[in-house]
Amino acid sequence: MRLWFRFISALRNIVRRPYVEEQLDEELRSYIEMVTEERIAAGMSAAEARSSAMEEFGGVEQVKQTVRDNRAGTGTELLWQDACYGFRQLRRNRGFTLTAVITMGLGIGATTAIFSAVYSLLLRSLPYHDADQIVSVSDTNSAPLIDPDFVAARTATRSFQQLAGFHTYSEDTLTGIGDPMRVTRAAVTADFLPVLGVVPALGRNFYPDEDWSGSPNVLLLSDHLWRNKFGADPKIVGKAIKLDGTDFTVIGVAPRHFSFPSPYLEPDIYGSAVLERTTTLSSETQIWGIQPIARLRPGVTAAQAQAEMQAFIQARAKGYPPEIDSWVKSRRITVEPLQRHLTGDDRKPLYILLACVAAVLLISCANVTNLQLARAVSRKHETAVRGALGASRARLIRQFLVESLVLSSIASILGLAIAFVVTFLVRHAGSLDDSQIPSRVTHVLRLPFGKLSATIQIDGWVLAFIVGLAAATTLISGLVPAISGSRTDMRTALASAGARMSSGREQRFFRHSLLVIEIGVALVLLACAGLLVRSFMHVMSYDSGFDANNTLTGTTSLYAGVITLKGPSTAWSKERYLNFTDRLLLRLKALPGVKYAALGSALPLDSGGQAAILYEGVSNRPRGQFPISFVTDITPEYFPAVGTPILAGRAFNSADNETSPLVAIVNSAFAKRFFAGEALGKRFKTNDGLHGDLFDTLTIVGVVEDVRHDSLERDPEPEVFRPLPQGHSRFRLRLVLRTSGNPTLLANAVRHAMTAVDPRQPVFDIETMDQRVSDLVAQRRLIMLLIVCFAMLAVILSAVGVYGVFTYSVTQRAHEMGIRVALGSSRVGILRLVVTQAARLIVLGGILGLGSALAASKLLASLLVGVTPHDPISFSLAWVLMTTVALLASAIPASQAARTNLIAVLHSD
Amino acid sequence: MSQDRTKLLQGTLDLLILKALGAGELHGLGISRRIEQITKGTFLVKPGSLFPALHRMEEAGWLSSFWGESESNRRAKFYRLTRSGTKQIEAETEQWGKVALAMTNALKAT
Repeated sequence: MRLWFRFISALRNIVRRPYVEEQLDEELRSYIEMVTEERIAAGMSAAEARSSAMEEFGGVEQVKQTVRDNRAGTGTELLWQDACYGFRQLRRNRGFTLTAVITMGLGIGATTAIFSAVYSLLLRSLPYHDADQIVSVSDTNSAPLIDPDFVAARTATRSFQQLAGFHTYSEDTLTGIGDPMRVTRAAVTADFLPVLGVVPALGRNFYPDEDWSGSPNVLLLSDHLWRNKFGADPKIVGKAIKLDGTDFTVIGVAPRHFSFPSPYLEPDIYGSAVLERTTTLSSETQIWGIQPIARLRPGVTAAQAQAEMQAFIQARAKGYPPEIDSWVKSRRITVEPLQRHLTGDDRKPLYILLACVAAVLLISCANVTNLQLARAVSRKHETAVRGALGASRARLIRQFLVESLVLSSIASILGLAIAFVVTFLVRHAGSLDDSQIPSRVTHVLRLPFGKLSATIQIDGWVLAFIVGLAAATTLISGLVPAISGSRTDMRTALASAGARMSSGREQRFFRHSLLVIEIGVALVLLACAGLLVRSFMHVMSYDSGFDANNTLTGTTSLYAGVITLKGPSTAWSKERYLNFTDRLLLRLKALPGVKYAALGSALPLDSGGQAAILYEGVSNRPRGQFPISFVTDITPEYFPAVGTPILAGRAFNSADNETSPLVAIVNSAFAKRFFAGEALGKRFKTNDGLHGDLFDTLTIVGVVEDVRHDSLERDPEPEVFRPLPQGHSRFRLRLVLRTSGNPTLLANAVRHAMTAVDPRQPVFDIETMDQRVSDLVAQRRLIMLLIVCFAMLAVILSAVGVYGVFTYSVTQRAHEMGIRVALGSSRVGILRLVVTQAARLIVLGGILGLGSALAASKLLASLLVGVTPHDPISFSLAWVLMTTVALLASAIPASQAARTNLIAVLHSD
Repeated sequence: MSQDRTKLLQGTLDLLILKALGAGELHGLGISRRIEQITKGTFLVKPGSLFPALHRMEEAGWLSSFWGESESNRRAKFYRLTRSGTKQIEAETEQWGKVALAMTNALKAT
């Protein structure tokens, strides 16, 4: 209540100031007149009465001022006056203001941009109901569970309120509406959307028992597909659509901003899962992977749920067939918050970026502190005058701090603008162009930090962060200058009349320490950037294995079979498959501009099929303990099409068919690991798990260069190539064309070739090899570029710092320099004097920086490929660069000092 | 030292002003005279302390003011107690009682 009164009064006093003043005037006047009247009534003369009344009153202005000082809102008003004064001061010193605002604005902007990414990706809760209760459950190495275990776990475990899930990844061809289109369908359990608290925007969710096998074929559309393929048809519910030739009834449409809770999947269609009621597992049982998403019971932690699931899985193993013993024993269940599951590998790089950007901000603050200190010294005279006129020390400190606040507020506005631009770029780097890409999958997942990147934005919390940052930078950069500035010895300051005032020894030490820290921090950033650049170079040295230029790739999926513990089977007979591949290859080779065309079960950078290897003559080891190699089935022109050099022996040719002797080409990693480099003509056995326990005996007829799989960051592993007709994979076919011109021009021709061979087969993922490489390294490149930018910024800022400090000190010491010259010191001597002093600090900063970098670079270890965290090249280059730049920065003021005009200096006294 | 005394006096002054207005609304000079009267001339409140106190107390919500006519038909600003001002009298009286008692006891003890 009282606060409210004070607030209202303060508002009135500030807003209606002239009125309030007038009232005060009138009140006092009437008082004096009443006293005068009293006196006259008591017998005094009018003049006498008036003067005695005035005398008793004791100074109208003083009384008014006391009333004003006590008024509510006076503090606010003074603050406002200080701010205006500060603003005027800043405007008068344009050079200082511009430097400080840009320095701090860059720091604040970069920090805010990275923070908004960290906040959106890691801190803000997911857009699901009570998202902190939702966990993901996964098997060893983030693998999904198998469905018999999942169904059994739903009734047997106690930790979860609900255990929902989705079958991982299924691609279908949608026909019947416009052109056939490849869509991604996630088959979800009936309680999947309820677990997330998501209600369909149109229609209904699945009924509770619609996820058992034998239920009718029903599905929900994603909002995206509904709008782009079905023209947002409001009567879509109840209509039938065809997927891979099967009819499905649409029962609903998912809400507009629903994002699927999986880092690698954003489906166009949500189908219902197909669960079996029998939970026993035999070698013949058809199994599906299912990724569980569960809601924890209140009070149950993820760790407790994980312990329960692990025990449950171990107990289940007793009923498993003996073939899978080794797999069962190594199973490790992970239950983790959904957010952690979704952002997985991105957490660390983001925190590293945040740390780097904070370091840049620290350097900016140190710079501005130094600038302010220098200014405070040159304003000593002004401060002394203000002190002499009665400003208390607290008042002076406040004045300085308010000025810093004005400064950092302006810098924050600049920073906010920078952050807006950066987050806009991040969001739109991967935004969907609806008209061009009807299927969202590839595009959303291509964003540098996965699909959550689309949610990076500046919102309330980020704004709060920037306000906090402004306050913090004000305090950091303003407090020391304010305190030291206000500690002015008035007498000396006034006596010296503003001519020359030097900073004290203590202050100089402080300024120099700041400089050493700046150089050290910049060096740490520079060393980290160096390590990342070297890693990136290592990663990009992929070209030894293949040639990414002028190469077009595509995929077609032949899969229409079932997976059991024996491995997957397919509906395609070998005859049909070979017939299909032969005809397709003929068509592809006939396309204009195609130099080589090939098909294969995998291309470089794909994750390939794996096979157990067995040397001839070695006795059978237990299953599961064989060495493992990638195995890829290819057609003859594969190596020239991909651009992999053949190191020894021959390529496959059309004579290597189903009936000819079984042959293999191995990569050099294989030859080194299994045959000590002498592989040609040797024989080995292999079982790719695709046709039971049979081992094929292969003769090695060629050795090729290593090619990386899975990612560019893993070193090449042993790989076996087999002629397509002799291999066993018939699920996914990759096609690769080497062209003489721009490969993207062939995309449509490839589609038509496929349609001509088999109109039911869609070709998808048509992209150039260059594009695939650049997608794979997108995140690494982004992180590297950001850290390199931050490091450069840090180096420039600390160079500005060195320049500023020494320019200032040279100006301060102009008199001394003059005397030195007068006493016979040479210009070079003076240059050396200043540079030596700077060099001492720079070396100190270098030592500090190298020491901290050695410690800090261990944190980067997970991002490094091909270099150790203590890579001497990165460190020494960083040190040389930092030292050179800093020395150059100090040489500018030093040469100014060397040019000191003796006469002018001595005359200035 | 001087600051301490102002503080003590300020507390006293507030109570005296509240007390003076207890009997009804008064203008500035009226309050001054009334205090002089009820303290039997012990306290002479100068305008330099009276007006800041009045304005402060008004902003605190204890007093409200209005423009009226003085006994000599002169336009003057009158003050009267608000409800929260009346409560404040009780609170301050109690407080003062405690201080006075404590002071008396302290002085007797020597």
